[in-house]
Amino acid sequence: MITFILEILFIFLSAVIFVYLVRHFVFTLTALRSSWRRKKLNSINSVLCPYFVSIVIPARNEERVIGRLLQRINELTYPKERVEIIAVDDGSSDGTGTIMENFAKTDSRLKVIHQNQEESGRGKASALNAALRHVNGEIVVCFDADYYPQRDILERLLNGFSDPEVGVVQGRVTVLNEPKNIVTRLVALERIGGYRVDQYARQILKLIPQFGGTVGAVRRSLLDHIGGWDESALAEDTDLTFRVYLAGYKVRYINEAECYEEAVESWHAYWRQRRRWAEGHMETAFKHTASVLKNRKLTLREKVDGVLLLNVYFMPILVLFSWIIGFSLFFLGPPQWISAFWFFIPLSFYSFVGNFAPFFEVGIGTYLDGRSRASWLMPLLLFTFLYNVAICTKAFADLCLSKAFGRKQRGWFKTIHFGDGKSYIIN
Amino acid sequence: MALEEFQKLVVIAFGAFFFIMLLPALLELKKPGDAGPRRIEDCSVLLEEQLRIASLERTEDMKFDQALVSKVSQIIAALPNLET
Repeated sequence: MITFILEILFIFLSAVIFVYLVRHFVFTLTALRSSWRRKKLNSINSVLCPYFVSIVIPARNEERVIGRLLQRINELTYPKERVEIIAVDDGSSDGTGTIMENFAKTDSRLKVIHQNQEESGRGKASALNAALRHVNGEIVVCFDADYYPQRDILERLLNGFSDPEVGVVQGRVTVLNEPKNIVTRLVALERIGGYRVDQYARQILKLIPQFGGTVGAVRRSLLDHIGGWDESALAEDTDLTFRVYLAGYKVRYINEAECYEEAVESWHAYWRQRRRWAEGHMETAFKHTASVLKNRKLTLREKVDGVLLLNVYFMPILVLFSWIIGFSLFFLGPPQWISAFWFFIPLSFYSFVGNFAPFFEVGIGTYLDGRSRASWLMPLLLFTFLYNVAICTKAFADLCLSKAFGRKQRGWFKTIHFGDGKSYIIN
Repeated sequence: MALEEFQKLVVIAFGAFFFIMLLPALLELKKPGDAGPRRIEDCSVLLEEQLRIASLERTEDMKFDQALVSKVSQIIAALPNLET
């Protein structure tokens, strides 16, 4: 009887893995085919500057990087009279607030909001909402303090709003401090797969590209309509993505709107960041999966992609279960479908090396970026995937415990930035 | 084949497989050949490039046609000196 139940579970888990396998194959092929067709069409269609834009920068203890971003924003090509900058110093204990104030002295467009002790430390969503109360623009563009955008990023992002159904436009993130060490190099590979292939294919296939919380532009009217950012959400970006879709709007991904970020530089920082992402994403899955399935404004393909996207962080846990069950079945005696077991081995291997920006996507992403040598590091994604299995399992356990014993106060889960990434580019 | 030999072969095969799989990564880590990070496309860079090409084209437009100049000079040389 136990063997029978394990067999059923194993087949179910393998089927789920198979679905994700097909999904990533489809994304990879779509990105590849689309890139061949559009090779010569990746320039800006037209430079339009019809919107008054509010750039919002939430920051807490970011003295090493905030000056670089504010300087860069001053260099943007978008008409300066059509931009305001709102920087939120969320109770920083370092020189972040002072640096912001110094920039504000020379740039009248910059408004600095200092959150006091009571208001501060409640997380990024809280800081964004604080900024939102001072926003005058029609479009709100978010940047994290460690980001470094291309000069014409606003023109490129705002092109996405030519469709009135589009409520959010997301740009591409590229790792700035990639050569630093093995962690940054592997994160860069994940980013290539995640943006150059995954997000891009979802845009082409009219599925659900995800708002990443930064390098993104949102219509102010839409933010007012949906009540701003959810301060109780740990993954406020994923939460916003689904609330936008449930409100009848769409997210558009623009691959040509690029911005550098500083990736985490140690395995410990990687653990902290990914654990937060995983827990937040799982929480969002619990919150929105049923609404996505019931919503009548979403197309069938959006519903399918939405459910798969929402539940993607459960995959490493399911893979872990499939390994445990597979081993158990092997030692409990060969079942009748032993041949099926061998059939599923390639799937297990896929999930072994998969990660969230899976193997095929990373490979094709490096090819499309013209960086085939970077793909030599791909086998090492095996280890980040194993690491992610542990991270997601811990995140799931923490989420279950927090649900069972009461919700914890949301706070900033800070990633420490060192600000030396710019030395890797000549600009 | 004895079971022990089979087990040995399996271990060796797996070891070889993982070594071959990881070899490119180890080589790339030891001596990075990738030029990363990726240089993002900047409109100012594109504009500068376009301006450079445009200025080159203009400079070429302004240059004298050397073949024509030599022909004209030959004609002038062949003309009789009107002062004498």
